[in-house]
Amino acid sequence: MAAVELTLWLFSFFGVAGLLGIVVYQLMCLSDLEFDYINPFDSASSINKFVLPEFIGHGALCGFYLLTGHWLMFLLNLPLAYYHMRLFMHKRHLVDVTEIFNLLGKEKQYRLMKLGFYLLLFFIVIYKLVVAAVVVILEYDRGPDVDF
Amino acid sequence: MQPPPPKPGVPGAQPGYSPFGQPPTSQNQPLLPPGSQRPVQPWQQSPSGVAQPFRPGGNFPSAPGPPVGGPPTAGPGSTIPGSGPPPLGARPAGPPGAFIPGQNSPAHAPGPPPPPFTRQPPGPPPPSAFRPSGPPPPTMSTLLGGNQGPPQGPGLAPPPVGAQPPPMGTTFSQPFPTGRIPGYPTQVPPGPPPTSGPYMNPPTSLGQPPFAGQSMQPPPFGPSSQTRLNQFPAPPQLATTQQGPPQSAPPFGPPPSYYGAPSPTSTPLQTPPPPMAGYGYDPTTRGLPEEFQSLNMVPLPGSMEAAVDASVLPRPTDDVEPTPSAWAANCHPRYLRLTSNSMPNAQSLVARWHLPLGAVVHPLAEAPPGEEVPVVNFGATSIVRCRRCRTYINAYVTFTDGGRRWRCNVCVLLNEVPVEYFCPLDVNGKRKDADERPELSQGSVEFVAPTEYMVRPPMPPVYFFLIDVSASAIRTGMLQTACETIKASLDKLPGYPRTQIGFITFDSALHFYNLKSTLTQPQMMVVAELDDPFLPMPDDLLVNLSESRAVVEALLDSLPAMFQNNLNVESALGPALKAAFMVMSQLGGKLLVFQSTLPSLGVGRLKLRGDDPRIYGTDKECNLRVTEEQFYKQMAADFSKYQIAVNVYAFAEKYTDLASLGTLPKYTGGQVLHYPGFQVQTHGEKFTYELGRDLTRETAWEAVMRIRCGKGIRFSTYHGHFMLRSSDLLALPAVDCDKAFAMQLTLEDTLLTSQTVYFQVAVLYTSSSGERRIRVHTMAAPVTAEIGEMYRSADVGAITSLMSRLAIEKSFTSKLEDSRQAGQSRLVRALREYKNLFAVQYRTTGRLIYPESLKLLPLYVLAINKSLALRGGFNEVSADGRSAAAFEMMTMPASRLLKYIYPSLYRIDDYLYQTAKAKADPVDLPAPLPLSAERLDPRGAYLYNDGLRFVLWVGKVVSPDFVGLLFGSEVAQSPDSSKAVVVEQDNDLSKRFIAVLNKLREKNTAVYQECLLVRQGEQPRESILLLQNLVEDRTIQPYGYVDWMTQIYRLVQQTS
Repeated sequence: MAAVELTLWLFSFFGVAGLLGIVVYQLMCLSDLEFDYINPFDSASSINKFVLPEFIGHGALCGFYLLTGHWLMFLLNLPLAYYHMRLFMHKRHLVDVTEIFNLLGKEKQYRLMKLGFYLLLFFIVIYKLVVAAVVVILEYDRGPDVDF
Repeated sequence: MQPPPPKPGVPGAQPGYSPFGQPPTSQNQPLLPPGSQRPVQPWQQSPSGVAQPFRPGGNFPSAPGPPVGGPPTAGPGSTIPGSGPPPLGARPAGPPGAFIPGQNSPAHAPGPPPPPFTRQPPGPPPPSAFRPSGPPPPTMSTLLGGNQGPPQGPGLAPPPVGAQPPPMGTTFSQPFPTGRIPGYPTQVPPGPPPTSGPYMNPPTSLGQPPFAGQSMQPPPFGPSSQTRLNQFPAPPQLATTQQGPPQSAPPFGPPPSYYGAPSPTSTPLQTPPPPMAGYGYDPTTRGLPEEFQSLNMVPLPGSMEAAVDASVLPRPTDDVEPTPSAWAANCHPRYLRLTSNSMPNAQSLVARWHLPLGAVVHPLAEAPPGEEVPVVNFGATSIVRCRRCRTYINAYVTFTDGGRRWRCNVCVLLNEVPVEYFCPLDVNGKRKDADERPELSQGSVEFVAPTEYMVRPPMPPVYFFLIDVSASAIRTGMLQTACETIKASLDKLPGYPRTQIGFITFDSALHFYNLKSTLTQPQMMVVAELDDPFLPMPDDLLVNLSESRAVVEALLDSLPAMFQNNLNVESALGPALKAAFMVMSQLGGKLLVFQSTLPSLGVGRLKLRGDDPRIYGTDKECNLRVTEEQFYKQMAADFSKYQIAVNVYAFAEKYTDLASLGTLPKYTGGQVLHYPGFQVQTHGEKFTYELGRDLTRETAWEAVMRIRCGKGIRFSTYHGHFMLRSSDLLALPAVDCDKAFAMQLTLEDTLLTSQTVYFQVAVLYTSSSGERRIRVHTMAAPVTAEIGEMYRSADVGAITSLMSRLAIEKSFTSKLEDSRQAGQSRLVRALREYKNLFAVQYRTTGRLIYPESLKLLPLYVLAINKSLALRGGFNEVSADGRSAAAFEMMTMPASRLLKYIYPSLYRIDDYLYQTAKAKADPVDLPAPLPLSAERLDPRGAYLYNDGLRFVLWVGKVVSPDFVGLLFGSEVAQSPDSSKAVVVEQDNDLSKRFIAVLNKLREKNTAVYQECLLVRQGEQPRESILLLQNLVEDRTIQPYGYVDWMTQIYRLVQQTS
């Protein structure tokens, strides 16, 4: 049982790390644009490339928590998942290349907030991961002869 | 507020060098408030009366250091040792230096001064000529404590300052102007009337030496005497304003100089009117000068509400042309206008400005003959630019080190002068060849760019036509007219022989045309695959016009016949755009889309939306004004990336979702031309002209534009039709002389230390002839620390232009009502701020106070709110009409915009009858009337001109013969005048009428103004075409001009 838990947290560790990576990459694209290192077309297309993967990844993580019965984690993620869905339904999830300079501030803020959220998630997951690992190690230490 | 001299910062200016060496001409002045021209201080004049060559005006008491307004050497006065005035306190109250009204005339003849009282400069016009706008009377002395006096002859010389109460103590009894003052305050003639009397308590200021000293200056022209007074301990402010020729300062005899307000235009100086002679000698003048203007708000009988007499409200005169800048090296305001010609030096000032701070740029504006932008070719040397900030060399840079180096005016970096560009300096530190080189003497210049400025060989002009051939396009005659016009324009397309041309037509399928020059007839290829359109013969769809001329003509001849019986009503615009993109992406160019229905097939199909009145007033309202179809945005971005500009011609009678279609022009530097309910009989001429102009006007291809400005200032937002390629680079695939752009700036530093801010607009483009060019406009603006000065030097045209663009952009994201409110609240805050400047000295209740420069702003804000783009709600304007107007207003230059939002109305019947016989050429229309239905007399005929079209309104009582004479007898008999077209009839009246129309059209070549006839009572045309546009009436919004002013007044009075 403990091993299952460990795998689960290991899985979500990589998931959250991936999300973090995506957000950081998008933020980099935006600041590159701000400092004129790339043009808006490239910037927007590289950001937009990762928008859906992020949404799907986060949605999957959310569903995964639901299925494995981690209610608290699920509830924590639910608002963002809902927000993503709304954006997608209204077709507002992609960065608008034509207005990107006017939206730069907003887009950065939005992603910074997400970055904060994912970091929070990341620490929780690490904590859970460590706890799970400790449990596994303790179980291992106790040896297989526990049941008698 | 200080206009820095033309060559600020010449460190080594020689004593003999005067930046004002050449007497400014009349056009040197007008933008500056009267006060900024104070060439000479009285005490700087030699008692002998001989004009000193370097009489500075720059020296103010205790200002030995560099004057604030300009670099040390720039202040003409500062170069003269000993010319500094005595310390303030030591300044005798009496006269050594007398003030001469004439000395303020920049055109004053140099040389020995004329004898006293013949100060009228020999040739030059009176000073007032420099201020066409008729600034308010100088008021320094009123602010300084009532030393205001009339211009005086020697005999009338008032006693010395400190000792003397103002002439004729009776003036003290002169009441404050109140509501009873008749006349038209905003038209106070420049210069106070001789009767202007002091009304302030003289002891307060006269008793104090500093003030007395100050009042000794030729005060009347002081820009902001009030603020200046407050800041008295900082005299440099005062000391540096001189722009006028120093020579023009003959001493003016004994009379003390504090008669500050010699009215430049008033009576000849030799015969000054008796000081008090006529309070009221000029009924339109208020009794005392104030440096602001005001409207008296009279309480209505029986109510608490104040009202104002409609006849005294300020209204624009017919021509609202900006006046050229005071500085000869500035570009003409037709290219670049700042919302305030004085830049704030601190963010706290920006916060108090309340109006938009920025610029309106019209980089390729058409110049009248003789004023074209000179072309400079550096040949093998590359263009001289600053190493650090990349500013182009301009007339404001200064050369040092014997001409081996130059200092960048924008970033102050010392740059080496390239060997090829070297030229020694003359004794004044000026390059000897400066006058021969346009880039060193003029504000606008065009550089021929060498290969460093090319990322690819200069493109040829490319015109690609995407023509809707569905049933409605055939029925309305659009296709026929378009083909004829294109054919007629083929000879005039710019860029022969490199011009390229191509066509695609579409209904439910795409039709490509092989125009290869070896063919005799064009080959048509139909592609019905809409999901993934492909190009059948990619190489022969876009061909060189001169080679394939015959084939192109054959195609244009046959197109209308080919689709004559087309019953297809579908329109696959999206796939057609994709196909056109594939054809054009190699080269870029201009794509002209002719669309007569709602796109209904394939990607980019649009829905009918906006037919629900309930959506207005909700938060979703704004969605109607932007596209919901991402395809158009993506397509626009791709077009812009590949240097393709899109112009959309929309002809549909019903809804075509212009908000979506217009996205393409919006981001590619194009424009939307809307012909709702196109019928060839009525709109044909307009369409023909406008398409022809679009095809033949000089166009700048693959252009980018950037505006640079000095350190501490940054342009933050841009408004217009373009796409930002980086944070400050505007990508303009094709830009022409009819497009203007607006931008707002922000202060980055909390405090600006420089005295002058420089702006440089640079447009890098490929001309039709295939030459890479850079058009550069440079402008300098003084920095001020006074909010009053900012208001005084405000440019109402630029402000209105910027405000209208902001309002339209706001309407894309919020409700119309919010957008209108935002403009109103800006106006109110600005007026309140301005009022508070004077709240201490003046009674401000009961009147609405505004600076002369902004007297029209309330009217224009009202007009913006009532413009087609922003007025009303669902019922007033169709969604497409609103979008079309918004797109139009986003590209219009300021002068056209003012005309558009506040059109002119002339009574024309009397005029025509009177002048019909006279074959004389000059067409001087009668004065424009206020835009109010009250002015429409049923016995008259009125011509309404909004810069897009003319409307001829004919009253009920006018004899049908009048219409018959102008439009022909058939129109006169038919009750329906919607089909009436002006055709020259065989009579004098008609000929005269057409001459009038043509004269007005000449002034506005950007569009074709067709003339519509509307008769009184002919609904709904009368109301749509005319009555709703009379902005002074309570038609759309519940307030007219009078109510609006009352409301603004009330809001301004509220303390918040």
